[in-house]
Amino acid sequence: MNAIRTEGLGKRYGMTWALRDCNLEIPAGSVTALVGPNGAGKTTLLKLVVGLTRPSAGSVDVLGLVPREDERELMPRLGFVAQDHPLHMGFSVRDTLSLGRRLNPGWNDDLARQRIEHLRLPLERKIGQLSGGQQAQVALTLALAKEPELLVLDEPVAALDPLARREFLNSLMEAVAEREMAVVLSSHIVTDLERVCDHLVILSDSRPLLVGPIEELVASHRLLTGPVADPAEVARVHDVVRATHTKRQTSLLVRANGHVYDSVWELHEVDLEEIVLAYLGYGVAEHEPRAVTR
Amino acid sequence: MIWLGWRQQRTETLIAAALLALVAAILVPSGIEMAHAYTRDGLAHCVDMTQGPTCGNVVSSFEQRFSKYTALIGWFNLVPGLFGVAFAAPFVLELERGTHRLAWTQSITRRRWVTTKLALAVGSTVLVAGALIVILVWWRAPLVRLDGRMDGSAFDSQGTVIFGYSLFALGLALAIGAVWRRAVPAVMVAYVGYFIARIFTDSALRQHFVAPRSLTWPAGQAQPAAVQHAWVISQSVVGPLDRATCLKQGAASIKQCLALSGGSIHSVFVPASKFWVLQGIETGLFGGIAVALIAFAGWWTLYRE
Repeated sequence: MNAIRTEGLGKRYGMTWALRDCNLEIPAGSVTALVGPNGAGKTTLLKLVVGLTRPSAGSVDVLGLVPREDERELMPRLGFVAQDHPLHMGFSVRDTLSLGRRLNPGWNDDLARQRIEHLRLPLERKIGQLSGGQQAQVALTLALAKEPELLVLDEPVAALDPLARREFLNSLMEAVAEREMAVVLSSHIVTDLERVCDHLVILSDSRPLLVGPIEELVASHRLLTGPVADPAEVARVHDVVRATHTKRQTSLLVRANGHVYDSVWELHEVDLEEIVLAYLGYGVAEHEPRAVTR
Repeated sequence: MIWLGWRQQRTETLIAAALLALVAAILVPSGIEMAHAYTRDGLAHCVDMTQGPTCGNVVSSFEQRFSKYTALIGWFNLVPGLFGVAFAAPFVLELERGTHRLAWTQSITRRRWVTTKLALAVGSTVLVAGALIVILVWWRAPLVRLDGRMDGSAFDSQGTVIFGYSLFALGLALAIGAVWRRAVPAVMVAYVGYFIARIFTDSALRQHFVAPRSLTWPAGQAQPAAVQHAWVISQSVVGPLDRATCLKQGAASIKQCLALSGGSIHSVFVPASKFWVLQGIETGLFGGIAVALIAFAGWWTLYRE
C-alpha cells in the first residue's frame, strides 16, 4: 500500500504553476526525503498532501483517502509540522500539549509528556521563550502524539543550527524506530538526510526529477572520469545526468543501465549528496554542500 | 476547541472588560448623582408639563448641571466599534501568524475551527455590547424621561442599535482581516470604516428609514403633543415674520414677535412612538451587513486556499 500517491498533480497560483505533472508513489512505512531548491514546489506538494490547499489539476491520494474531502477520517491519521513550525508563542508548553489533547481524540498524552520530559523543557515555559530547536521539538511532539500513520514535515530543520538539526533528526529517527509510520520530510539541505531517509524525491522547477529508494539510486549512479571525450557514446546506453569537462578530463555522472564496461572510464561510487547536486544542476566536481540560502 | 478559542482571545477579553470597566467608572458616579438629583428636585412631575414656568426652570437647571456629561456621552459612540474590532483580532492574528494551519492539521475539521472561532467572537461581542447597553440605558434614564430618546446621541446609546454597531465593526474587521491577513491594519481600516458608516447613517440615512410627519401650528401656541420628545428633522417659520415690523410693534423676543406677526411653526419630525421601529431597522441593517461580512470571512478562510 502507498502512503501517498499522486497522479498528474498540479497546483497553480494565478498564472504560475507551483507544481505540475507530479506522479509519485510513496510507500507506507518509508522515510522519504523531498529535496529541491527553494521554490521547487516542495511546500505546495506537502500542503496538497495534508489538505491545506486544493489541487488545480490531477489528484492526490493519502492513506487511501482524499485530503480535504475525507478530512474527518484522514486528519486523525496524519501528523504535520509546517514550515517554521507555527505554534502559539503566548502559550506555555503545557497549554500547547493541552491544545493537542483537546483537538485530537487519538492523542497519546504519555508519549507527549515523556518526550517533553526527555527534552528537559519546563511545562510552564512560554513557547516564545524557547529556542528555535526547542520549538521545532515541541511541534514534532505535537505531531507524534497523534500517533500518525503518516508524518509530514515541511523544512523542519531549515531554520536550525547544525547541532539542533542533528538532535531533531535523531529524535525523528527514534520515533520512526519505535513506531510504524511513513515519514515525508522536505529539505533544501541535503546533509544528514541520508542518515534518516530511505526514499528520495527530487523536485526541481515544479516537477519531480528523480524518485526512488535511496539504496537503489546510489547503486545505479556512477561517476565516470576519463580523458576529454564526447559523452555521446556513454549516453547511448546510460543516462548522463551531468557532464563536466576540464582541460585534462571529462567527468560524467550517469544513471547506469547495467554495468559500465568501457575501459576508457574510471568508475567511482557516488553518495546521495552528489546525486542530488548533479540533478539540481550543480557541478559534479564542486560538490560542497551548497545549501541554497534564503 | 472552545477551550482553545477562549485561550486565544484571553487578551482581547481582558481589553474589552477593561474598556467596560472604564465606561462604568465614568458613568456610574454621574449616573447616581443624576438619578439622585432627579428625585430630589422632583422632576418626575414636570415630565409632562415642561412648559410650566417653575418646572421649566427646574428642568433647565437640571439639564445645565449635567450638560457636561451629555456632551461627553457622544464619545461613547466609539466604544461599540472598539468591542467589535477587538474580538475580531484573535481570528485575524491566527491567519497572520499561520497558526490556523496548526489547528487545521489536528483532528478537528477546518469548518468546525472556523465556526467555533467566529461564534465565540460573535458571542463575546454581543455580551459586552449588552453590558454597555445596560449601563447606558440606566445612566440616561432621567434625561430620557425629560427629553426623550429620539435625538442624536440619545438614540445611538439606547435600545438595540449598539448590538448592530458592534457586530458590524466585528464583521468588517473579520472580512478585511480574512482577505488581508494582517491584524493591525485590518483592525484600523475596519474601525475607520465603522466610523464612516456610523456618521453616514446618523447624518444621511436614518431620516429615510421611516416617513417623517409634518405639522404646522401657530407660533404663539404650545408645541403639539406629537412633537414632544420627537426627532425633529427640520423646523421653520412660516408666515409674515419681518424683523423690522416686530421691532416697531415692540416685541421683546423672537417668540413674541412670531405671535405678534401671526406666523406659524412648521416642523418635520419623527414622533417618539417610532423609536422601536427606527431601532429595529437600524439594528437590522447593521446586524444584517455584519452577518454577511462574518459569513464572507468564514467562507473566504475556508475556501480560498
